[in-house]
Amino acid sequence: MNNREFNIRIEADHTLLLDIERFRLETGKITFLLGESGIGKTLISKALYGLLDSEPWEVQINGQPYYRYLKEGPVGRWQRDGFFVFQEPSSHLNPLLTIEQQLNEGDLAGNSYEPNILRRLWQNVAYKEIEDILKVFPKPFRPSGGEKQRVLLSMAFKKMQHFRPQKETLYIFDEPTGNLDDVYRNQVVAFLLEEYRKNPFTILFITHDYSLINELYRNHGDVLPQMRFKELQRVAENQLELKKFDTDGYLKWLEKAHPLQSGSLTGRKSLLTVEPQFKVFDRSFRIFADASHTRPAPLKVLSGKITYLKAPSGVGKTTLAKIIMGLIPAQQVHFELGALSFTEQTGRMRWQKQVWGKRAGMVFQHAEEALDLRSTVRQIFKGLPVQQKMTRNRVLKELSFIFEAPLQNTLLQRQVFHLSGGQKQRLNLLRTFILNVDLIILDEPLNGLDFNSIQRVLKMIQRKLNDGKGFLLISHNEEIFDRFIPEELQYYLWFQ
Amino acid sequence: MKRKLGTALNNLYKKKDQWWLLTGSIIFLLLWVWDRLFLNAPALRFLQIGFLNTLIISTLVILISLILAWVIIQKMFFFRGRNWAWAELLLTFFLNLIRSIPQIVGVLLGYVLITILLQLSILTASWQTLLLMAAIIALFVFLELVDLMQERITFYQSLDFYNAMKVCGISSFRIINFNILWKNSRGHILNKLIALFGVSIFLQCSVDFIISVGLSTKVSALNLPVTLGSLLAKIDSKQDILAIGYSFSHPARLSRLFLQHLQGISVAFSIVFLLIMIYKISNGYAERHRL
Repeated sequence: MNNREFNIRIEADHTLLLDIERFRLETGKITFLLGESGIGKTLISKALYGLLDSEPWEVQINGQPYYRYLKEGPVGRWQRDGFFVFQEPSSHLNPLLTIEQQLNEGDLAGNSYEPNILRRLWQNVAYKEIEDILKVFPKPFRPSGGEKQRVLLSMAFKKMQHFRPQKETLYIFDEPTGNLDDVYRNQVVAFLLEEYRKNPFTILFITHDYSLINELYRNHGDVLPQMRFKELQRVAENQLELKKFDTDGYLKWLEKAHPLQSGSLTGRKSLLTVEPQFKVFDRSFRIFADASHTRPAPLKVLSGKITYLKAPSGVGKTTLAKIIMGLIPAQQVHFELGALSFTEQTGRMRWQKQVWGKRAGMVFQHAEEALDLRSTVRQIFKGLPVQQKMTRNRVLKELSFIFEAPLQNTLLQRQVFHLSGGQKQRLNLLRTFILNVDLIILDEPLNGLDFNSIQRVLKMIQRKLNDGKGFLLISHNEEIFDRFIPEELQYYLWFQ
Repeated sequence: MKRKLGTALNNLYKKKDQWWLLTGSIIFLLLWVWDRLFLNAPALRFLQIGFLNTLIISTLVILISLILAWVIIQKMFFFRGRNWAWAELLLTFFLNLIRSIPQIVGVLLGYVLITILLQLSILTASWQTLLLMAAIIALFVFLELVDLMQERITFYQSLDFYNAMKVCGISSFRIINFNILWKNSRGHILNKLIALFGVSIFLQCSVDFIISVGLSTKVSALNLPVTLGSLLAKIDSKQDILAIGYSFSHPARLSRLFLQHLQGISVAFSIVFLLIMIYKISNGYAERHRL
């Protein structure tokens, strides 16, 4: 098989969803497909792999109807020899079979590589614990998202080791590390590249985790010549283009990054001070000034500064943010928000009267859940407590800070539901940034954004800092934020 | 042209609610034309007035129910937002009190009140009686709408959606009314209103029939507005309906049903077909909007 180029056009219910020309897959290479969430990476890869149904999709590939592509294209061989690791592991495991049964279904049956693969993907975990997972019938809550993702990856590795892929064999990994922390992510990538080194084959690796680039450059430099970094970009409404991603530019940008702040630390107005110990859901938490959890310290947000709260996933960072915003009642807490003092006994009306939209605002983690999807873009900004009325022109002006120019007039009338994940996240951020509040809490603000949007968001943060506003940041994206936030403004949360 | 018409009809057939509205209206139009040709003029006049009164009362019922439900919901979530548990409890108790009375019993008691007001000549115009009839029925059916609105609001409040808007300083009033009820629930509310329209016709017909049979004819026959239910209870209609049974054993008389027994047959058909039509419209609407 030679390098392949595809012109792909996908419609649903007679509405054009995406149209892309010259989508290139290089044989025997690893293509990293970057781009903001919801832009169409998954849809394109599913279309290429022959996974879309005729209802509601109407697909054309290289000008041919989909059924002809499925018949005459490379799909049959790809599906027979390759593998597709799906993004959302929960919906791709059969709840009626145990994990072990699913690891031994079809082509995967009857080979003995499995324990080694499982050990590799579950490093630092006793095999007894892995065996327990194998006996489980998948449920929404068990195994965890990360474990389910590793199960799907195990299937891919098992097939890889058993069938020894050829150069033409295509493996698609759709956000395969989205539910894993950086340590496990790096292990998965290392394992995959190890297999690739033994036997180069074609890989399409879809991700919007830009920090992966640094890891690849740092630890897998020998494979870099075989890697292609591409980014899907929107050139017009529903018109996409596959562009080469400038990895050097990204790495230089990271290298040159300087702390986001305005002026020195001294003489700053305190916007938020949270006492180091608090209790919620019968569990006690502590805030520390160091990563080894030895120096408990009150968490402080100063004007013109951004404070970074770190902790592994699920420890309670969002819970603390919600306590500060009065959305979750704590059993024991004390914090000062500007001149106001709050404890576990403070009544909820106080937040409504004095905090929400007046002193503080919060950007929630998942834009999909934080926005009213039935509203239009313009309606998202209605009802905000701002002095200047949110006229059409003002909304357009604000949107221009974070959306690509030229802004199309129809954007204001578009339902949020029809926007991509990245566009939703930008709206989610903008809604709070418009407020004239002293403190903004950002919960995973870079979720689903492409590199361009990440830069725009950081600029917006800097502009707010220049105005004397302060931020409390929660993010897993340590690679980026560690460079933008000085260590003395980083705090660590842990529970006892 | 023929093809275009075929496609349009096919598209309409897929939208079951609109299909039933259209075909149902055509069928009622045909019934009216038939009655116009073969039913005597005074009976036709009664039939027309009864049909219109029934629709007017049901329309008023859904309007009053909507207003009542909206006001109750505003109060309930206002109390909840302020943590006024005692006020919320009192309101819930009052609602449950209404809920504890079977709808048919409640409406019958309401009609007793109307009868008294008619006898005391407090209700003088027929529009007043229609309005009061509608208000009484609404009082015993609006809780279904309250439950739906409450369910929708509680669901959205459990999502990040509600809190994310609140912490931006957007008022609860706007979130509940614009974002939750209008933007995200109006399909559900409209569907419930269609169902209440049907419930209202069913209750009206049942109660009108009961009171026309069982209560003082002096009051019911002379003073209450004519509805499909009260028409059904008239002796002429009863005889017409009995004729249906008779025609089973004497099939030769079948053709007479549609020429000589039209009043009862038309009333019975109108009630039954109207209820089926509303049921189909409601289901079709729910299916089309994936409610």
